[in-house]
Amino acid sequence: MPEKPKKSISSLSERRKRFAWLIPFANLRITLTLLSFSMILIFVATLEQVRIGIRGAQAEFFESMYGIWHYPEQFWGGELLNPLPIPIPGGYLLGGLLILNLLAAFITRFQWTGKKMGIQFIHLGIIMLLVGQLATQAMQEESRMQINKGESKNYLERFHGVELAFIDVTDAQTERVVALPEALLEQGGLHYSEDLPFKVRVLDFGPNCEFNSLPPANKAKGPTAGVNRGVIQSANLEIRPKPEDFSSEGMNFGYVVFELLDGAESMGTWAAISHPAGNHWWAQINPKMGDLAFQPIRTNGRLWGVTLRPEREYLPYSIELIGIANEFYQGTDIPFNFESEIVLNMEKNQSRRALVYMNTPLRHEGKTFYQYQMNKSADYTVFQVVRNPSWLVPYIACILVSIGLLWQFSFHLVRFLNKNSGANRATV
Amino acid sequence: MKEKKKSTRLRILSWSLVLCGLYFVFLPNKYTSSSFFDFFKGEPVGVEDSINLDAFSRIPVLRGGRVKPIDSVARNTLLVLRNKRTALDSNGTKVPAIKWLADLLFTPERADAHKTFLIDHDQVLGLIGKKLASDGKYFSYLELEPFVEEIEKSAQDASKLEREERNYFHQNIIELYHGLVLYRNLKTTLAPPPHAPSSAVHDHSRLSPLFYNAETDSGRSDEYKRFRKLTADLANNPDKVRMGNKEAMGPLMYFIDYYARYNLYAEFFPLPPEFGESGGKWRKIGESLVGTEPLESKEKAKIDPARFISTVQALVASSDADLPDQIKSIRQNLKMDPSALFAAQYAEAIKLRKGIDPIIGNYEQLENAYQTGDAQTFNESVEKIRAEISKRAEADISTIAFEKTYNGYEPFYRSSIGYLWIFLIACVSWLISAYLKPGQAQSGAAKALLNCAYLLTGLVLIAHTFGLVGRMYIEGRPPVTNLYSSALFISWGAVVLCFLTEKFLRLGIASAMGSLIGFGGLVVAHNLSIDSSLNPSGDTMEMMRAVLDSNFWLATHVVTITIGYSTTFLAGFLGIAYVFSMLFRKLTRSKNKGKDLDRTLVSMIFGITCFSLFFSLVGTVLGGIWADQSWGRFWGWDAKENGALLIVIWNAIILHARWAGIAKVRGLSALAIFGNVVTAWSYFGTNMLGVGLHSYGFMDKAFVPLMAFIGSQLAIIGLAYLPALFSLFFKASPKTA
Repeated sequence: MPEKPKKSISSLSERRKRFAWLIPFANLRITLTLLSFSMILIFVATLEQVRIGIRGAQAEFFESMYGIWHYPEQFWGGELLNPLPIPIPGGYLLGGLLILNLLAAFITRFQWTGKKMGIQFIHLGIIMLLVGQLATQAMQEESRMQINKGESKNYLERFHGVELAFIDVTDAQTERVVALPEALLEQGGLHYSEDLPFKVRVLDFGPNCEFNSLPPANKAKGPTAGVNRGVIQSANLEIRPKPEDFSSEGMNFGYVVFELLDGAESMGTWAAISHPAGNHWWAQINPKMGDLAFQPIRTNGRLWGVTLRPEREYLPYSIELIGIANEFYQGTDIPFNFESEIVLNMEKNQSRRALVYMNTPLRHEGKTFYQYQMNKSADYTVFQVVRNPSWLVPYIACILVSIGLLWQFSFHLVRFLNKNSGANRATV
Repeated sequence: MKEKKKSTRLRILSWSLVLCGLYFVFLPNKYTSSSFFDFFKGEPVGVEDSINLDAFSRIPVLRGGRVKPIDSVARNTLLVLRNKRTALDSNGTKVPAIKWLADLLFTPERADAHKTFLIDHDQVLGLIGKKLASDGKYFSYLELEPFVEEIEKSAQDASKLEREERNYFHQNIIELYHGLVLYRNLKTTLAPPPHAPSSAVHDHSRLSPLFYNAETDSGRSDEYKRFRKLTADLANNPDKVRMGNKEAMGPLMYFIDYYARYNLYAEFFPLPPEFGESGGKWRKIGESLVGTEPLESKEKAKIDPARFISTVQALVASSDADLPDQIKSIRQNLKMDPSALFAAQYAEAIKLRKGIDPIIGNYEQLENAYQTGDAQTFNESVEKIRAEISKRAEADISTIAFEKTYNGYEPFYRSSIGYLWIFLIACVSWLISAYLKPGQAQSGAAKALLNCAYLLTGLVLIAHTFGLVGRMYIEGRPPVTNLYSSALFISWGAVVLCFLTEKFLRLGIASAMGSLIGFGGLVVAHNLSIDSSLNPSGDTMEMMRAVLDSNFWLATHVVTITIGYSTTFLAGFLGIAYVFSMLFRKLTRSKNKGKDLDRTLVSMIFGITCFSLFFSLVGTVLGGIWADQSWGRFWGWDAKENGALLIVIWNAIILHARWAGIAKVRGLSALAIFGNVVTAWSYFGTNMLGVGLHSYGFMDKAFVPLMAFIGSQLAIIGLAYLPALFSLFFKASPKTA
């Protein structure tokens, strides 16, 4: 018996039959609802940037399932409406649902024919943009690299996030560094490493705090109450925890309180604070606090130092700053150039010179170094460094969308012009 | 017979309207001094024996980072001071900008009587004891002079406040103070401020013989020459550079300090780079005499005198060939050392800056001639200055003549008035056709007016396009470089689309809405140009910040996104056209149900929304690519990026609502009108937040107009649904036939 010819999956009616359960998800009204909610989300999140900064709004609204919004107090009727918490569907929720809705539409609504090819391309591109953005938000890392003129650096510092670093400086030639990343500090508890001669028990940690030096007679309250060693004790510092400041100018002083243990015996309790602009600033604020950059710990005849600093990532290459240029249009304060001249020293003794300036970052091994800040009189430059493994996705997506749009709209335009010029001729 | 007569009359009417348009678009009139044809003609020949201000206005100078004719300086500063490009004399008669500037530079006491400052805030007026009703809003420097200190104090108090805390009074007083500073700096650009009458620091008996003396000297250059003699003597005898030598060092220090400070009191750079200077910069007069101070003046307190003098001496003693390199090395390597840095400036003033720029002398002759009314010397000096500049800065001045004519042609002023007329003509033609009985053929008059509006749109579009192209030529950049030019471009884009639509559909809707957007956009642009926080120098062709300095991305991303704005606005205005024509039909109980019109409008809105979606999506994505290229990330949820995304999503909503059959005629129009709100928010609202990377055009004055615009759009949407509500409530009532 000859096999009954199987209907091709590319026919719409066959797909609708096979995936009947998907049809309700592909409803255009759902698309419209989701798009309308996206508008509300984006508008609210943009407004909230004024209050909590771009990063704060991103965390609250775009990188979440839902966010809570309070009507701004300074707006009309704000006093009345402000206390009301308004839930706003978040980026992950809407993005995910839109992807679902689009996929369902692809299967149960779109005709897979040449005439409708434009529509398919557009929506495929949009799915890619959405997925790409979700991937980016999950994988993208932003750090900074500050280099003084004539010096060389081989590590990046995270904008956000600190690490507790123990540095063995007994040997004049080499330093040994053991660092506890923020994730472990947040987790708390006891940590040990075979490279460390002691165990570390994290007692308290916070991303931001206020601090002040008390007169010797007063006893510090709060997290540092139990500290009996190191700078915090000698300067009699009191710490009050604060929530993390997400705004772009936000200064976050992370702090940690920890106890060191030699076997089961306590060596004492220390605390450390990180300065957001670099721990070398402590000495300028208060000479007594200068050691926050390096609190010495002597044990078993070795000298260790401990400091809480922005989380670092070491690179297999280094960047040396040769010179910087910061030029303005004559007679104005409008800059027309920020430029750093660098030498990139890579593995296998390879090196090359490069210029990093506006619109022309340095790209190397998946990282992009772009000109971020610069200080002409102190001769240093700061690069923002971004690693974004999914950077190619939007490019492909927008090629797809552009082709699709052109395809579709040229169809429409030609029809519109034909029809109307015909109609005109008829009435004349 | 009658028919024929009527059509002749119509023909005469429409051709005379088109001729009026031609005249208005291309020829000079009361408000615009140049005609279209001046661009193709050479420079006009001055009348003998009269001061040739036209030639004077073509002298190139550098201000705001750009070499421009001095005419532009005059117009731009007046735009800041008076919000107009002309001045008023004490009787309230209009004075051309260049005449005002010549008065200010050469006969300041005359200029001080001109009504130069616009003050229209009642509290600020109260501060100077004036009332709007009796004293008007334009004031001369003479009238303000007694209050300068008070204004300065209030302005300084106001600037201590955070930006958000300032009210309108604070903003206005700060603006007025900036205006006064600008005015005074212009005044002292070519003539230094007077010497301090007596000074405890400096030995006056040694100094005063060197000072300019109006009775015995022929000009201020005599003082400069005496200073040069002093430095030449030191340059030849380096051992005279020592602390004990009060005879020479006292005056030297006084003059270097005085001329360096003079740099701060000069508004523009009149002197082109010197001969053979590579990558040379333009200079102010003080700079040409003694260079510029390397650090702020207060850093001088940190100078170590012994080391300073010994460094100056060592530098002066070195050879002419070595000195520039030594100075350069100090400036690069000793950035934190005031002693060495100031020593380098002194050495430059003593040894490197030789002679006196001939242009300084020429400007003095110009000044004397202007004061005495000696036309021949004036015109000759102008020629000398221009000849010298064109020799020394040939590359910088290629667009000067064009810019001067362009200033006088005022393409955007012409276009805005033109658009207003087109809108009126189109409206009249609508009114005529609205009162026709159904079935009656379009009346001749209405049709003639429509054709007229169409032709006139084409004509005005030429002026508008020419204005944009002229800016591109002068700036050497793509059309949109700042908020001001984006408004010009948005209106241009909408008018072009309407012109093309009208070519196929001669209904007058596209003409009317296009000219309305054209007019509105140009008015917005004008208001942006007089907003002092956006445009502090008054020059709408200011330089671009480093990050924006990329012609490729300006030409692609910025242009596409702006076309996106433009088309979204156009769709919205077509929606408004629908609402009003629908209401008009309902109110007049017209028998003409307008089904055809509605269908056409819907297809126009739909088609244009397709365009908007295309351009806004492509523009947004291009912006993402630019961001990825320069910052390493495609999307950063920045306020302006989000605004663009809102437009994209809104356009997508409109199209999908149409495809789903949810939005019919009225719905589509209402959605399109709300598109105006979304676009206005993205265009201006996001700039007011003051956050993010794109907050280059922060402004708070536009808040009220923006809210008014948004309110009006929402009201129109309400109007669209009014008849539906009406019939909902009165459905039950018996029909009265």
